[in-house]
Amino acid sequence: MTLQNDLKSELVSHLVVSGFSQVAAGTPVRDTLARMRADRQVVCLVVDGDEAAAVRLVGIFTERDVMRKVIDVPGMLDRPVDEVMTPDPITIGPDASAADALRLMDENHVRNLPVVDRSGRLLGIMAHQAIIQFLADRYPVEVLNRPIDPEQFPRKAEGG
Amino acid sequence: MSTAATEEITLTRKDFISDQTVRWCPGCGDYSILAQMQRILPETGVAKEKTVFISGIGCSSRFPYYMNTYGIHSIHGRAPALATGLAIANPELSIWVITGDGDGLSIGGNHLLHAIRRNVNLNIVLFNNRIYGLTKGQYSPTSRPGTVTKSSPMGSVEQPLNPIAVALAAEATFVARSIDSHPQHLAAILERTAEHQGASFLEIYQNCVIFNPNEWTELSDRRNRDDSILYLEHGKHMIFGKNRDKGIRLNGFTPEVVSLDEVDLDEVLVHDATSRPLASILGSMEFPDYPAAMGVIRDVRKPDYGGEMMAQVETAQAQRGAGDLNQLYLAADLWTVEEREEAEEREITPVASDLDEMPITGLDEEYIDEMEKPAEALSEFQDLLVTSTLAELEPNVPITIGKRSSLARTIRQMNRHNIGCVVVTDEEDRLVGIFTEWDVLNRVAGLVDDLAQQTITDYMTPDPLTLKSDLPIAQALNLMSIHGFRHLPLVDDSGHPTGIVSFRDVVGYLNEALEED
Repeated sequence: MTLQNDLKSELVSHLVVSGFSQVAAGTPVRDTLARMRADRQVVCLVVDGDEAAAVRLVGIFTERDVMRKVIDVPGMLDRPVDEVMTPDPITIGPDASAADALRLMDENHVRNLPVVDRSGRLLGIMAHQAIIQFLADRYPVEVLNRPIDPEQFPRKAEGG
Repeated sequence: MSTAATEEITLTRKDFISDQTVRWCPGCGDYSILAQMQRILPETGVAKEKTVFISGIGCSSRFPYYMNTYGIHSIHGRAPALATGLAIANPELSIWVITGDGDGLSIGGNHLLHAIRRNVNLNIVLFNNRIYGLTKGQYSPTSRPGTVTKSSPMGSVEQPLNPIAVALAAEATFVARSIDSHPQHLAAILERTAEHQGASFLEIYQNCVIFNPNEWTELSDRRNRDDSILYLEHGKHMIFGKNRDKGIRLNGFTPEVVSLDEVDLDEVLVHDATSRPLASILGSMEFPDYPAAMGVIRDVRKPDYGGEMMAQVETAQAQRGAGDLNQLYLAADLWTVEEREEAEEREITPVASDLDEMPITGLDEEYIDEMEKPAEALSEFQDLLVTSTLAELEPNVPITIGKRSSLARTIRQMNRHNIGCVVVTDEEDRLVGIFTEWDVLNRVAGLVDDLAQQTITDYMTPDPLTLKSDLPIAQALNLMSIHGFRHLPLVDDSGHPTGIVSFRDVVGYLNEALEED
């Protein structure tokens, strides 16, 4: 059994995907950052249209963009987020396999894949974290049931 | 049970970890429960010094040693009795009772019933592994009929107790169930258990990796657990299955599993955590005849014992004034025991001094045999998780930055190397902190005017969790899955950083490993 085999039979919709922030196109970078901080999210999806009605995904803005395009560029905070986001991000459907998602991330060198269903609903962000969670659940004896501090561990097996 | 937050200081998981060596077998489900407890306690907002863990005897009962709170490792089965006394003496405390299926339902079954019946403000957590682990594998009061153990070589002939039904029989005001192998669910249910005022009873299905390792396989296997578990949510339909295509319907008094393709949603039961009869029905649903009900089965509010009793004390004091203990003593019948005039000298039997020289019998040999038995059908991948070390990930040499560096210089370095995480070191190149992209987003971008004027130590996470590179990959996965850490710094024995391991490194390595075979 390899991880590949495990992940081929696991759907993205069955993974614990990450959350995200959401702002409308045209939102200033400063306000986008404030929203991400308030939501405690590292990914913000930029959408077109009214939040209540159907929205269309137009871009993705992540903590990496903050590092590369915002932090040391003067005046950028007051520009619209559209200028620093990655437009038309690659997305994945909830019925794709986890292995497909991982391959898509590797091939395109992206760390976050928005999960979007057929009707365009934004369901979450597929990231490496989902695979880590999957492994913890799949192999609880090996992964979860470990000493809290590996330095404090009995050298010899004993009861209790 | 709940106690008002009294401390302004924000606690973290580390505050609840004691300095004691954990003596559970490698792979024991207790580790997972301990980790989740240490994770949720800071979020309940209760101060460490107001938190107490009381246990009886058994593997699970070692819990208080590992929590950096007050704790009592008490008498077999008597934890609920001690806890009741403590809850009455000091109503401000948040008291957890940690027990197991043997300690709680056999030796201390009586105490457990009465603590629940009285609705004492306690959080009672029962680790159910359906075996006596500490005494090396005898059948317990929850073992299923036919279970072959050392004390039931031809299979147990006893009808087991159902812990949920026992708690409901004592009219528990909060009854819940979770499982060690599902950490998100366990954490959420532990929080609910802590919140409830009055006696909270939580049963946790827990894996005894040595003496009963296959008890919960169908419920813990990630691939089909959703077909075996009914996750309860108050006010929601009882729907389950990996594809959420099955439901629970009531046929007369009997619940039955139905396919949603054939039955209207209206016919499917809706969970109501305030309904006493429904709680009984859910408690009676035993796996594998039914999916195992997980979550909060019952949650109602009733006056708790401590509050009721203190109200009576106050009423009595208002009517008759505060009492006087000495007067109470002296008011009783008193008599004096006279010394005998010709007291005979009693002969004191000397303690057998040869006890020390008795040979130590091979009590542990059986157990060590069990431990050393080759693990059952461990897949190559499982083997990889525990035998590959973090060094084999060939982690990048960490980019380090001196602790006196400015924010501007730190961020320039990160961008130059195109990395999301730097390690902060002191004059002797020892790791003192970690600084990541999230810190930039969370504490710097748009919040700090002059990056050159700020020192990195004010923005980094000081004293982060670190690992040594000779530890197995599973250890990194453990911390990443429990805490969501995306980067883990590696250090050598003298605290010098040697590498950084990220989510991506771990997943990438595991994804490629075994591929060439």
